[in-house]
Amino acid sequence: RLTQVRWSRYGPDYLEPEVNKEVYRKPGQELSEEEKMEQDLKALQPIKAAPCNVTSSLFSDPTISKFINMMMKGGNKVLARSIMSQTLEAVKRKQVEKYHQASEEERESIECNPYVIFHQALKNCQPIIGISNIKKGGKTYQVPTPLTDNRKRFLAMKWLITECREHKHYRIFMHEKLSQELLQAFNNEGPVIKRKHDIHKMAEANRAYAHYRWW
Amino acid sequence: MLRRVKGLICQGPKLDPGCFLQARAWLSAAANQGAQIPEERLRMIFRTHESNPANHSEQHEGQHYSIPLQEVKVVFPHGLPRRFQAQMKTFNEACLMVRRPALELLGYLKSTNFAHPAVRYIIYGEKGTGKTMTLCHAVHYCAKQDWLVLHIPDAHLWVKNRTELLPSSYHKERFDQPLEASTWLKNFKVSNERFLKEIKTQRTYVWSKRESTEMGSPLGEVVEQGVTRVKNASDAVGVVLKELKTQCLLGSFRLLVAVDGVNALWGRSTLRKKDKSAISPEELTLVHNLRKMVMNDWNGGAIVTTLSQTGSLFKPRSAYLPHELLGKEGFDTLDPFVPIQVPNYSQREFESCYQYYLDRKWLQHEKVCTEEGREELLFLSNSNPWQLERISASL
Repeated sequence: RLTQVRWSRYGPDYLEPEVNKEVYRKPGQELSEEEKMEQDLKALQPIKAAPCNVTSSLFSDPTISKFINMMMKGGNKVLARSIMSQTLEAVKRKQVEKYHQASEEERESIECNPYVIFHQALKNCQPIIGISNIKKGGKTYQVPTPLTDNRKRFLAMKWLITECREHKHYRIFMHEKLSQELLQAFNNEGPVIKRKHDIHKMAEANRAYAHYRWW
Repeated sequence: MLRRVKGLICQGPKLDPGCFLQARAWLSAAANQGAQIPEERLRMIFRTHESNPANHSEQHEGQHYSIPLQEVKVVFPHGLPRRFQAQMKTFNEACLMVRRPALELLGYLKSTNFAHPAVRYIIYGEKGTGKTMTLCHAVHYCAKQDWLVLHIPDAHLWVKNRTELLPSSYHKERFDQPLEASTWLKNFKVSNERFLKEIKTQRTYVWSKRESTEMGSPLGEVVEQGVTRVKNASDAVGVVLKELKTQCLLGSFRLLVAVDGVNALWGRSTLRKKDKSAISPEELTLVHNLRKMVMNDWNGGAIVTTLSQTGSLFKPRSAYLPHELLGKEGFDTLDPFVPIQVPNYSQREFESCYQYYLDRKWLQHEKVCTEEGREELLFLSNSNPWQLERISASL
């Protein structure tokens, strides 16, 4: 008999917590019918406890939290978070220095916000089409497959982190390596973008086998 | 439009000093009346054009003044905190905030009586409140007023980090630290070139069989000797300190002794002798000579020191008062001193720092320019300058 090992201890009637302060600040008249129904439900139904990494802070970002979780080793969230903040600081420092030394016309084109750079770099690294191994007639073929949004995001973050961990010198700090990679990805250059293009080329080359996919 | 308005409002110092605290209510009230008060006027209040510390007064409180980078290289070859140096490099300018403890200290320095023994000032406060920056403000003032500045950036660095320890040639039981002494002498040379040529030694000093400095030769030669012959560097430092102390009484120059982390001189050290027994700071030449310098048995200058828990050894993090950090021996030695406490940022100073970071494009997150972002920053940092800087680095 099979039993689940990892399963939620909450019953089916528990609702997710709403952490965003803006939602509660809307006056009653602006709410639509559905939102009014939801609020009435929340007054009566039990609500799950909010996890530790979710805050009502204005500066929290779910993508950044995911990236921190992926960078974490051995449950050391403190270290992973500090590396992330040092990376953002390094990216910002480089860009602000360039900004202050540039002339008036160049200043408008320099992007100083590390969050914008992070999101744009991640978007640039996401592959459009993926590859999966399908075994047919004893041979394994690399078949082009569509990818969901979550999978794309995961692949982009995974490639960034493995690139920094494995292909760079181990004595350089992680935040320096990461900030360099992020800036390169933001400008559509660098090894991670190259890897994405390799996947695309492979998918294009194996176009003939696309009909092997049955899902 | 922006530049023209800024040009019109160069009268930062002439603005009403009390207006800042009520600025928000004032602006909203004025906006209700429909008056055209530009947002730029509020923002300019965080900067002042007065770059000479001698002219700073209460009306400049909370405002940032900038020091030209060329001057920074001469006045502060060492002594500025590392994060501030990184900030200087990023923003391409060096801006210090004028705060009340610094103004108090400058007032005392302006009214020193040079015939009386040197007064000792101890700047103390909790971690990260701006003690080193207050010290740097005072050093800048004295450098502008043409005093001879003896700035020891961090006395804790002299009692930790085992590098080389040579047994002293001058005194049998003491230990020399050639590396630290030679770096300090190099930086001392950069900041006080002019005085090194004018001040002459009053005794002959024999360094070895073939090298000696004659009586009446300029102090620059002693410094050169220490820099080139690294073995004699600590003794050169001792000679420089002794000469300056004896000659300051004659009155040809004013001397400022600025020591950061003075509690290192009376604490414990992590250095050990070859047989692994601990060395007390008393047995180090540099510390021994510096202790003599910090005594108030000379006149013609002032001694400004800072207590620091951050680099200190074997002291708990919550200790910040003079009695806790100096210990009995240190407190008794420094006993008649003027304490200056440095608190966290006030409302006005926090607002000024926040506006400065916004102006220099350091606070980049979209939500940080809103009211709620500002309140969250205030809450997270508790108006502590160090915390604020660390938090705003990643935002």
